[in-house]
Amino acid sequence: MADDNIKIVSFLCNWCSYGAADLAGVSRMEYPADIRVIRIPCSGRMSPKFVLSAFREGADAVWVSG
Amino acid sequence: MMGNLLEHMGVDRNRLHFSWISSAEATKFVDVVKEISDKVRALGTTKKFAKDYTK
Amino acid sequence: MDTCIEKIKAICTDLFSKGEVEKVIGFAGGSIPMATRPIAVTSEADVEKLVFNAFCGLNLANYVTKNNLPKDGAKIAVVAKGCDARNLVTHMVENQVPRDQVYIIGVPCTGMADKRRIAQRFEDEITQCTQDGDTFTVTSALQQEVIAKKDVLRHNCQYCTHRNPPVYDVMAGEPVEEQILDQPFPDVDHIASMDPETRWDHFAELTKNCIRCYACRNACPLCYCPTCFVDESSPQWVGKGQDETDITTFHFLRAFHCAGRCTDCGACVEACPMGINVRDFTRKLNKDALDLFGWEAGMDLDRRPPLDVYSPDDPDDFIK
Repeated sequence: MADDNIKIVSFLCNWCSYGAADLAGVSRMEYPADIRVIRIPCSGRMSPKFVLSAFREGADAVWVSG
Repeated sequence: MMGNLLEHMGVDRNRLHFSWISSAEATKFVDVVKEISDKVRALGTTKKFAKDYTK
Repeated sequence: MDTCIEKIKAICTDLFSKGEVEKVIGFAGGSIPMATRPIAVTSEADVEKLVFNAFCGLNLANYVTKNNLPKDGAKIAVVAKGCDARNLVTHMVENQVPRDQVYIIGVPCTGMADKRRIAQRFEDEITQCTQDGDTFTVTSALQQEVIAKKDVLRHNCQYCTHRNPPVYDVMAGEPVEEQILDQPFPDVDHIASMDPETRWDHFAELTKNCIRCYACRNACPLCYCPTCFVDESSPQWVGKGQDETDITTFHFLRAFHCAGRCTDCGACVEACPMGINVRDFTRKLNKDALDLFGWEAGMDLDRRPPLDVYSPDDPDDFIK
């Protein structure tokens, strides 16, 4: 049941995964375009409210990365 | 625990992911994105917890 | 439990005569059968108003918060069942109230009766209910029944393993025997055995009558935030209406805020006007806290809650 219209809301820590995403971009690596990145100042900023409001606005999955 | 409660309520465990990636690990970032994307594509879209604004 | 109230009154009279406490928070009789209400007794003369029976289902720790403690550091006393005392400990662990301002009158508890289960046995309104030890004599216009307490025990009291307060200043009665359960979470296991769609439907069915009155939140001693997430408007996390997504979101987040803190006192269910068993959400979290962290809330003043501290032994198999 492959679906190409999925949206994965990604909460990325400014100092860790956001940097990794930046490096991946600078290095011209290819990865699926399903993710929608939200930069958070630190993974500690994460709250369960964010996860639920992402689902509420129609996300199919949520990814939190530090 | 949040993932467990979501699963308890009938939301698939593969809809909430956590990972830890250093800013130097661009390859790990790409691998994780691919893995998550594959898992969620297999599940398809969902309306659970989504607000229907047309109502 | 019958003799408890005499001891509670004696302790309170003694406390007032020595001037040790400013007020006592306890239960008083309600205006209808099978009801009690919280009361703050401030003088020796009012001690007679206190009652303690099988309908004291609310959690008095809810009335001991930062804002209603005496500002001059004076003490207040609380009549506390096992769960109330555990919630007081949770308050202290979370730095909401100092231990030395609260005088805990511990009450060994053999469980509270579920008035909905009693009312189900009657076709018309109950006009009188008297308790004699472990039986009730319940009267309505049409019938009279003698009911054993163990047949109408609240669900959370059936699965209670901490009937005696773990922390107290004085006990009003001999500690009762604690229950030892083979399966402490049969209800959680039952839901877990369903397939995901059935589970989703189960919770949709459970909360479909919710009128969003927030009685569950207000009755809960854990919910002391100055502004609750449901009242925040910028951004608004959850809608105000009875949309099913909003209802589910509210119940999910309310329960999740109790993760690792809930003592399963049952006040939320007791307060719900629609008879929704909102404990279906929190019980799962209690089970996880026990399974993953070996943690039960409110048992120890010196141990930090699992979601409050980092330990290298924390389970981390969910992180990639």
